[in-house]
Amino acid sequence: MSDNKEILTLAVEIGDELLRNGGEIYRVEDTIFHILKAFEIENYDVYVLSNGIFASANEDSDDSCSIIRHVPLGDVHLGKITALNQLSREISEKKCDIKTAWEKLNECRNIPMPQTKTLTFFTGLGCSCYTYIFGGSFLDAFFAFFLGMVLKIFLLYGKKRKTSKFITNILGSAFVTAGSLFLYHIGAPVFHDKIVIGDIMPLVPGIALTTSIRDLFNGDYLSGAIHLLDALLTAMCIAVGVGSMIILYRYIPGGKILP
Amino acid sequence: MILQIIAAMLAVASFSILFCVPKSQLLYSAIIGGIAWFSYLSFMGMGAGTVISSLAATFLLAVLARIFALHLKKPVTIYLMAGIFPLVPGSGIYYTSYYFIMNDMTSFVAKGMETFKIAGAIALGIIFGSAIPQKLLLITVRKK
Repeated sequence: MSDNKEILTLAVEIGDELLRNGGEIYRVEDTIFHILKAFEIENYDVYVLSNGIFASANEDSDDSCSIIRHVPLGDVHLGKITALNQLSREISEKKCDIKTAWEKLNECRNIPMPQTKTLTFFTGLGCSCYTYIFGGSFLDAFFAFFLGMVLKIFLLYGKKRKTSKFITNILGSAFVTAGSLFLYHIGAPVFHDKIVIGDIMPLVPGIALTTSIRDLFNGDYLSGAIHLLDALLTAMCIAVGVGSMIILYRYIPGGKILP
Repeated sequence: MILQIIAAMLAVASFSILFCVPKSQLLYSAIIGGIAWFSYLSFMGMGAGTVISSLAATFLLAVLARIFALHLKKPVTIYLMAGIFPLVPGSGIYYTSYYFIMNDMTSFVAKGMETFKIAGAIALGIIFGSAIPQKLLLITVRKK
């Protein structure tokens, strides 16, 4: 009976993909439960952490099988999560068999990231809008747009080189601060702090914080703690990056006193 | 004020694109983000302070995200994640580290505590929003 094995693999693969793209723990567990139930496996156990999946089915019979998966913390891709959600809905309504499910899973996997150009442009736009709503002027928003675009290019480059997340966060926020202090230094009439606040928004751990709270609320304390730690460390990295540049600026000859 | 809300909606929409929210859902997440920012500003305008305003705005955001998710049969996450960004205390992180470096310890402690309180308020807002029973939300959907 290799059937059993295949169903469990399918369920865990879907769960893996959900977790990798930023799904919450209870969603992953629920999805795996529903798929196993839809294919009439009664006896199963699933344990999901924010970077691992443990699952077994039919422990007490001859065709027992189990899977352990390691899932690294990855980028958020909500499009994939939506598609996978749809897929699991179809499976639990028994609208598709195993073969079509595999095909659809592969389709979901191949949903591409937006192009670099798009990502860069919208980071810039987002940053400038945040600069504006946090009290910056139009001129601040204008500069924040360009700094945000350069920041995104740097972040994408860092991701390609697989640089540690801490380093990219520190360097990214340092770069943004340096840029806005430079504008301030050459006498442009800008609020340097507003530009920095707008431009660190792509680095701020909003997603880690949200996911961690939702995991904690659902009783997944360990996974919640992992994401909370991630959020706190990221915030600290940003503080280090921003702070180091402000200190450096004091020692630049002709550096004005910051207000 | 109107300009602020439009900017917030634009910001939320462009961050939604960064997180690859499906194109058909962009408008909804922008609307939710705009409403959350509007309620934040309104509470601030009434003199409620940053912490209470964040709490109220996040609560509204979480409830709206769940209603939209029910209505459109999509995961809640896609509306919640981008919409939360305007409320996350990015400026708190900046000013806390700034005062720390400037050796302004009074302001540092005040800002640091405020940042932590806002983070806590966001947490509570999401938790209260998720705690509303599904049935209650279903009623609101049907009424529409």
